[in-house]
Amino acid sequence: MRVLYIIYGSAVLVGLSIAQYQGWSLARVNEVKNVPRSVRDNPGSYRSVYSSYHHYTGGK
Amino acid sequence: MSASGPTPPGKPQARALNCPNCGAALVLRSFNNAVTIVCEGCHSILDAKDPNLQILQQFKAATDKDRPVIPLGTRGKIRGTEYEVIGFERRTINVDGAAYSWHEYVLFNPFKGFRYLTEYDGHWNDVSTLKALPERVSFSSPPKVKYLGETYKHFQTARASTSFVLGEFPWQVRVGESVEVSDYVSPPRVLSSEQTGNEVNWSMGEYMLGKDVWKAFRLPGSPPEAVGVYENQPSPMSGEAKSIWLTFAFFLLALVVLMIGFDLSAQNKEVFTGYYKYDSNRRGEASFVTDDFEIKGHTSNVELKTTTDLNNRWIYLNYALINETTGQAFDFGREVSFYHGYDSDGSWSEGSANDAVAVPSVPPGRYYLRVEPEGDPGYGMTYYTITVKRDVPQYSFYGIALGALLLPAILLSWRTLSFEHLRWAESDHPMITTSGDDD
Repeated sequence: MRVLYIIYGSAVLVGLSIAQYQGWSLARVNEVKNVPRSVRDNPGSYRSVYSSYHHYTGGK
Repeated sequence: MSASGPTPPGKPQARALNCPNCGAALVLRSFNNAVTIVCEGCHSILDAKDPNLQILQQFKAATDKDRPVIPLGTRGKIRGTEYEVIGFERRTINVDGAAYSWHEYVLFNPFKGFRYLTEYDGHWNDVSTLKALPERVSFSSPPKVKYLGETYKHFQTARASTSFVLGEFPWQVRVGESVEVSDYVSPPRVLSSEQTGNEVNWSMGEYMLGKDVWKAFRLPGSPPEAVGVYENQPSPMSGEAKSIWLTFAFFLLALVVLMIGFDLSAQNKEVFTGYYKYDSNRRGEASFVTDDFEIKGHTSNVELKTTTDLNNRWIYLNYALINETTGQAFDFGREVSFYHGYDSDGSWSEGSANDAVAVPSVPPGRYYLRVEPEGDPGYGMTYYTITVKRDVPQYSFYGIALGALLLPAILLSWRTLSFEHLRWAESDHPMITTSGDDD
């Protein structure tokens, strides 16, 4: 059991090290390839996948 | 269980006798060491010390019901010494109106004397009588005794009566006789005291697996499955839990070292800052792009921080972090909202005027941001600052790793506790008492 835990715990720490080094994050981010260069000159031509997000309008 | 040491044997030889009641053949396997012998045919308890085998008691019993699983006369090795099964008895206690019975086997070796095996619901104990008295621990609750430096905790005291006997016994056995039995446990051992009047006999039992008994006596088939948790059954997890927690302490230390290491080695470098305003009353295209900036080093995260002057309002920002060279974009949206006020419950607040997000695994290169703010018309002007930082330590992963390391240790401890709970549930000192138990 202890050996299994040592293997498991080591894997957790290795995973953590990779996550930290590679800069993993829990944030919801969408990766898009080949965004045209024209966006630089015409920002409105790019449509974000988050544009349709239903916004909070509240407060208490 | 009471016993005396064996008479030194001459040449080992079983004596052949006949029952004075039914005439059935009797075999005296323990030579002159038996005090009583029970006839298997008519269930007469005979005085083995009397040359005429005086009948001491007769009892009625269905032999088939109480047939020993290790037949009398079977030989087996316990702790390297060969013993022969010479006697068998069933003893019963009554607890809260329920009868619980266990079986005891009398074992004999001409040089080593008597030894016993007990069996209850598939749980076995190798039992021998004590040569010295255990010492009672003062002012302990539940009561404890000490023997050879080991402390034993009181488990149960009950009146045990003998309900069936067969074979030879090194004491004056009678069906119906009863003694007060107290068990003190320190798994895998149990100390038992049997008190009759002023006489107290102590014995020590050590838990045995059924398969080891079967192997020792070369019995056919497999032993009966053990049911439940027995009083001195060693917990399969108790030693493991301690070693897992020790290993966890080591991993925790490693986790802290990693955290300090990554904290010190992280770039945590600000690569861009921009100050902007958004007028929600203004119609037309709100999106814009920032100046480009250099992101250096190995593939790592990028933290984007939005600082606003929001006050009982919200703003939504569609972000795209775009690599100028490759066209690769990281697209994400962030809602920033901050509300506060005062009501009958007192003051309250909700959300924050600032926000931070880590964009994962961003390769090095030249980047710019496309920003598209949104807000409710009528809110007017919102001022906000965008700060971009490279290679920022993410502490949430340390929390996840800590949870992942803790989980097996907690589960194992929980299983250990459940095992102990089951063990003590049958004792005079259950770990959890219900109102019914108090009555």
